Amino acid sequence: MDNRGQHISQQFDAELEKIRNQVLSMGGLVEEQIRNAIRSLTDNDAPLAEEVIKNDVKVNNAEVTIDEECSHIIARRQPAASDLRLVVAVIKTITDLERIGDQAERIARMAIRLSEMERPKNQYSELKTIGNHVASMFHDTLDAFARMDPEAAVEVAKEDLKVDTEYDGIMRQTLTFMMEDPRSITRMLDVMWTARAIERIGDHSKNICEYIIYLVKGKDVRHTSLEKMEKEALR
Amino acid sequence: MRKTLKTWFDSGTPWIWLNAGAVSLSLIMVFGLLIMIAVRGMSHFWPAQVLEFDYTIASKFSQRIAGEINDTVEVSLENLRNSGIELGKEIQQNSQWVTRHLIKTGNRDVLGSDFRWVLAPYMSNEHFPQDIIVLERSEWGNLYGYLKAIKQNGQIVSENSSAWTDLSPRLDRVKNIQEQIRDIEKHKIGEINYELEQLRLKKRGLELDKNNEPEILSQIKSSEDTFKQQFGVLQSELAKLYQGINRDKLVVEIMDGKHIEIPFAKIVRAYKPNDMSFIQRIGVYLSRAWEFVSDDPREANTEGGIFPAIFGTVMMVIIMSILVTPFGVVTAVYMHEYAKQGPVIRTIRIAVNNLAGVPSIVYGIFGLGFFVYFLGGNIDQLFFPEALPAPTFGTPGILWSSLTLAILTVPVVIVATEEGLSRIPRAIREGSLALGATKAETLWRTVLPMATPAMMTGLILAVARAAGEVAPLMLVGVVKLAPSLPLDGNFPFLHLERKFMHLGFHIYDVGFQSPNVEAARPLVYATALLLVIIIVILNLAAIWIRNNLREKYKAVEN
Amino acid sequence: MNNSNMTHGINYKALGRKRESLSLEKETICIQVKELNLYYGEKQALTNVNLSIPEKRVSAFIGPSGCGKSTLLRCFNRMNDLVDTCRIDGDIIINAQNILDRNVDVAELRRRVGMVFQKPNPFPKSVYENVAYGLRLQGMKNRRSLDEIVEKSLRSAALWDEVKDRLHDNALGLSGGQQQRLVIARAIAIEPEILLLDEPASALDPISTLKIEELINELKNQYTIVIVTHNMQQAARVSDYTAFMYIGELVEFGDTDKIFTNPRKKQTEDYITGRYG
Repeated sequence: MDNRGQHISQQFDAELEKIRNQVLSMGGLVEEQIRNAIRSLTDNDAPLAEEVIKNDVKVNNAEVTIDEECSHIIARRQPAASDLRLVVAVIKTITDLERIGDQAERIARMAIRLSEMERPKNQYSELKTIGNHVASMFHDTLDAFARMDPEAAVEVAKEDLKVDTEYDGIMRQTLTFMMEDPRSITRMLDVMWTARAIERIGDHSKNICEYIIYLVKGKDVRHTSLEKMEKEALR
Repeated sequence: MRKTLKTWFDSGTPWIWLNAGAVSLSLIMVFGLLIMIAVRGMSHFWPAQVLEFDYTIASKFSQRIAGEINDTVEVSLENLRNSGIELGKEIQQNSQWVTRHLIKTGNRDVLGSDFRWVLAPYMSNEHFPQDIIVLERSEWGNLYGYLKAIKQNGQIVSENSSAWTDLSPRLDRVKNIQEQIRDIEKHKIGEINYELEQLRLKKRGLELDKNNEPEILSQIKSSEDTFKQQFGVLQSELAKLYQGINRDKLVVEIMDGKHIEIPFAKIVRAYKPNDMSFIQRIGVYLSRAWEFVSDDPREANTEGGIFPAIFGTVMMVIIMSILVTPFGVVTAVYMHEYAKQGPVIRTIRIAVNNLAGVPSIVYGIFGLGFFVYFLGGNIDQLFFPEALPAPTFGTPGILWSSLTLAILTVPVVIVATEEGLSRIPRAIREGSLALGATKAETLWRTVLPMATPAMMTGLILAVARAAGEVAPLMLVGVVKLAPSLPLDGNFPFLHLERKFMHLGFHIYDVGFQSPNVEAARPLVYATALLLVIIIVILNLAAIWIRNNLREKYKAVEN
Repeated sequence: MNNSNMTHGINYKALGRKRESLSLEKETICIQVKELNLYYGEKQALTNVNLSIPEKRVSAFIGPSGCGKSTLLRCFNRMNDLVDTCRIDGDIIINAQNILDRNVDVAELRRRVGMVFQKPNPFPKSVYENVAYGLRLQGMKNRRSLDEIVEKSLRSAALWDEVKDRLHDNALGLSGGQQQRLVIARAIAIEPEILLLDEPASALDPISTLKIEELINELKNQYTIVIVTHNMQQAARVSDYTAFMYIGELVEFGDTDKIFTNPRKKQTEDYITGRYG
């Protein structure tokens, strides 16, 4: 946005700026949710987890608000080209943000359940690692969105591969634990669900990165290979 | 106070009042003019009551006078005294003013004039005698008197009161005979004369061509003989009719007691002005008004009708319109559509606009010099050599008058048409061109029809101007009395070379050139009224046509 | 369509298929503009325009006022000839003929290249005579064939049902939208190959505008349509290809979908997003 001129209608500029900011603040809210959820899990902090669950309503509300805002812009302004792509990207982005929020809530629920169970010595450090990784990946996504930076978006998308690898590692590890100690199956299933939720956040972040590339470059890079995505982003 | 005056000015109210005042003033002037002309002109036909009185000048000699009071003015005694009029004791010497009446006494053949002034104080024994009659005569004007007797072939057939009842059938009989005479004189004999003239011209033409084939000559001779024979027959018929018409006479006693005999043939209308109901008066009024618009003039134009003048005016205007419209329209189309817009065309346009301001008499002189002498003279040389030295077209005539007025009014038509052409939206022309029409097709099929209202406007202005022009016409075709109309039953029906009468000139002639100005004054007003009415009718017709056309193209103009 | 691909009447194959994207390279070219420069007196109105307008498609010209889009349109039927000071260099090739050539029969050209103007400009004649105008110019007199073509044209212009009972009433009594469709009927009565529309809906209300747009959509099967419009949404709605012009130059010409979602040139982007100023 920064490299382009102003609209003749400053009101239109303001409206677009507003939804962009709303997306960023929704993103900030979601990021906080992710970090809190993971902290509640690793620090065994049930009240914090409760708070995360409670705050998910805010995320949902933000989605509805931004959605409405976008409908209004489409109805009133009939945006074209980059404006149109921005609105479309925003509509899609907030859907993913909301989903990420849901995953954070799920992690928080798991954190509460896990807090009532026996805790391993390492305090779920593997979940902490992947969780922090995903959180920072999400942070970078928001950053790329704020800067409208397709290169950064590609970098984030690449990170998703690493997250997937880490996730596979956790799955194998958990399976091993379950086979070693059948009593831990319940707990381990919860750990698996948590890891799964964290991995999904990574996927959603990758989606958002794809929207950023669409938004800036006008090319739909969904369902394509990373190489192609990188090529489009850097073109 | 100053403040309020200023706000009053700023509010614009004074300007509104000023505008409204100006408009009202214009309206008052226009309607005042029309009403004055209408009242003066139309009252002329009203059968006024005839006053009879004894008139004793300074107690010396007395006479009986009968007549219509035509005008009443107050004059100062001093003026009367200075002009040598004797003032008797009836007039109060200490008063400054005295009333004076203008009495239409008629009986010009006896008294020498139609009118005389009388001083009111000298009048006595005024009354409106029931059985006084007015005879409108075809010569010598009105006669006022008492009907005494009717004579048939010199024998008295009825006297006094029975004479009045006997009068009207005899008058009808005479009118009937007169109608027949007119038919023979005007139409049949006129036709024969025309044919004879044509034969003469043919003969002369053959002579000029040095062609004397005996066959043709004898043919001409024989048809000449037939016409002459027919002429003889008509002559004898006429003689018989004239005998019949002069059979009856009536005897009238006029004011000084003299009896005079008047042949019925000379009587146009007879009525008892003081013994008529309102309906009868209206009857006389209408009959006189109709005579005015439908009859030929008599008595050096001061009596009778002005039909030839109406006809001439309308005809001249129509011919002028036929000439000026195509000419003006074609010029305007060229100037607006085809000519390259530049200094040359601008100069031409200014010149055309200025032409409208040239005094009309200048056009008259141009018409006389160019049309009549040059064009007409050459046409005569080329096409009518047999009639020379008598000119055919080389003399003022209705064609030259129409052409002169056409030139006079063509700038108006050009300007109006150009205005109309420029008002046609570009989109319409482009629409036509975009359908594959050429420029000429576009002009012919869309632009010109749409410009017709503007052309009509131009024509309306042209007609309004032309119908009122007199000065140039006096040089190129109008005469005091035209023997025949420019349109009649003899081939080729339309005689463009003939001279014609014109209402405007008629007004001038009757008002200023006639021997009896006083008697003719009401006629001047009546003629003026008629001229105004004709111009209004011509304009209304054109405006009606234009509005219809405008209605058709209304949505485009907006 | 194969039955195996259909379940509950839904063509799943079609669902997955990408929209057939338009591409200028695949089109037959109808109007070819080469190196066109146009001057009004000293002022250059069109600069070096190169453009290929595809056949039987709707091509829209958009751009700010005074960018020369109407001027370019008017070159295609040589309406600019009416302007004395207008001078044109370059070629415009229609049917392998350079129409800017001096000895081209302009009236004949205009019969092939019909034009509809911004304001409805029916002639002050009856509806019937308006449509028959072009035919009569060509000397057609046969009443029956005139009737036939008039009806056909009015039907093509989606106006027949509205005016069939008042064919002989004055065309100026029609509403603005009807008048504009009448003008289109008048243009297609003489069966042109190309239809030029110069802001055909700018003087109409939204409903009439939609009717005109619908009509354009129907007519594109038979005619090559070039439309100039100020209304970008309209260009987006009706056209297959869009050209963006700016100060006498052709900035971008391409698939309308592309132009309106992801134009190549920044000027285009700025204009269609409303950043032009």
